[in-house]
Amino acid sequence: MTSLRLALVAAFFGLFGGVAVAQSTGAEDLVRKMAVEVTAAVRKDPDIATSPAKASALIEQRLLPRFDFQRITQVAMGRNWAKATPAEQHQIVSEFTHLLVRTYSNAIGTLKELEVQVKDSRSNGPSDVTVRTLMVGRAKPVSIDYTLTSAGGGWKVYDVTVENISLVSAYRDEFTGLVSSSGVSGLIAALQKKNTK
Amino acid sequence: MSRSVSKSVFAVACALSLATSSAVFAQDAQNDPLEPLNRGTFAFNELLDTIFFKPVSTVWNAVLPKPVRTGVANVFGNLDDVFIGTNHLLQGRGKDAGVDFQRVLVNTTVGIGGLIDVASTQGLVKGDGDFGQTFGVWGVGSGFYLVLPVLGPSNARDTVGRGVRIVSDPRTYATPVVSYSLTGTEVVQYKADNVENANLIDSSSLDKYAFTRNLYAQRREGLVKAGREAAR
Repeated sequence: MTSLRLALVAAFFGLFGGVAVAQSTGAEDLVRKMAVEVTAAVRKDPDIATSPAKASALIEQRLLPRFDFQRITQVAMGRNWAKATPAEQHQIVSEFTHLLVRTYSNAIGTLKELEVQVKDSRSNGPSDVTVRTLMVGRAKPVSIDYTLTSAGGGWKVYDVTVENISLVSAYRDEFTGLVSSSGVSGLIAALQKKNTK
Repeated sequence: MSRSVSKSVFAVACALSLATSSAVFAQDAQNDPLEPLNRGTFAFNELLDTIFFKPVSTVWNAVLPKPVRTGVANVFGNLDDVFIGTNHLLQGRGKDAGVDFQRVLVNTTVGIGGLIDVASTQGLVKGDGDFGQTFGVWGVGSGFYLVLPVLGPSNARDTVGRGVRIVSDPRTYATPVVSYSLTGTEVVQYKADNVENANLIDSSSLDKYAFTRNLYAQRREGLVKAGREAAR
């Protein structure tokens, strides 16, 4: 009886462990692929560092399809997500995506002198994995963790954590503050204003 | 077991000696009872950045060749390594402290008084360590958020940590002229080095105050967590 239970437990964990390894590999491969593609592009075309248009094009082509902006926005908004109408939600996702793309267009050029090393990954649960990477090339290596989900079929990043600073959490305070002071429409207006600047 | 008990007794003792009320140091990322005052100080710092530090940084970066700027940063970094090592020792991280003090030894001698960071090229990676982090590793919560004039984001615990650093820093005891010019140079050097980051925060935030507060809380929490893990 006991040995049967043990065997079942072992089988379960064995199977689960196998699945975990398989899903980690898929996520790691995606992160590695993104890193290789983007650094190669930045090195090949030095204009990317100085031309925001070229940088955005690179991000839109190589990174956007691999990020789950719907989920990023949803988590950043927390409880306030439910307060927005579907049309507003759509608008917030699109403005927030635009803001992030713009921000990182200005920073992507620095990848020229850096290299991304994929260290390892850990499973946070079914179809949820964090891939840990190290960006080397400056005096001090920078740790960057990517959290991915495969819930919607195919791996997509939904949080980036730089030196323990989570991107999604960073926006949560701002979003919460704006919604409580000026409502969902106030948040949208603030995003639009920022994007047209 | 007994070690962890004595550690927590130590932590409680520290918390009590730092503040009469332990509630002052309660852990909360959004613990900001002084928000109106903090926003005022934040606005003042922003203004100071715009009218003073940004122009000075631009001139600094334009006039001084990169090797000189790196050299200045390295000299301050070398002194900082002494404090990083001290804090690693206080946190019970003997191995990390060993690396820090090796860095100081190598950089002060081979690196000509700290001008050249030779240690980093020898696999001696620079660490993170300060008194605020040490208090955190000992179990003291971050306390309320506090924006310091000129210096920027902090919290109750880290401000006490800064105080300890100032009291233990040899520069504090130099003649005022030397002391102020060294500190001034370090602040300008730091600001000039972080222009990129400041621009990134500018372009990505809707409410820069709340964004900065969050980044600071996350960063400090991460450093304390890393310290605890390394001390284990």
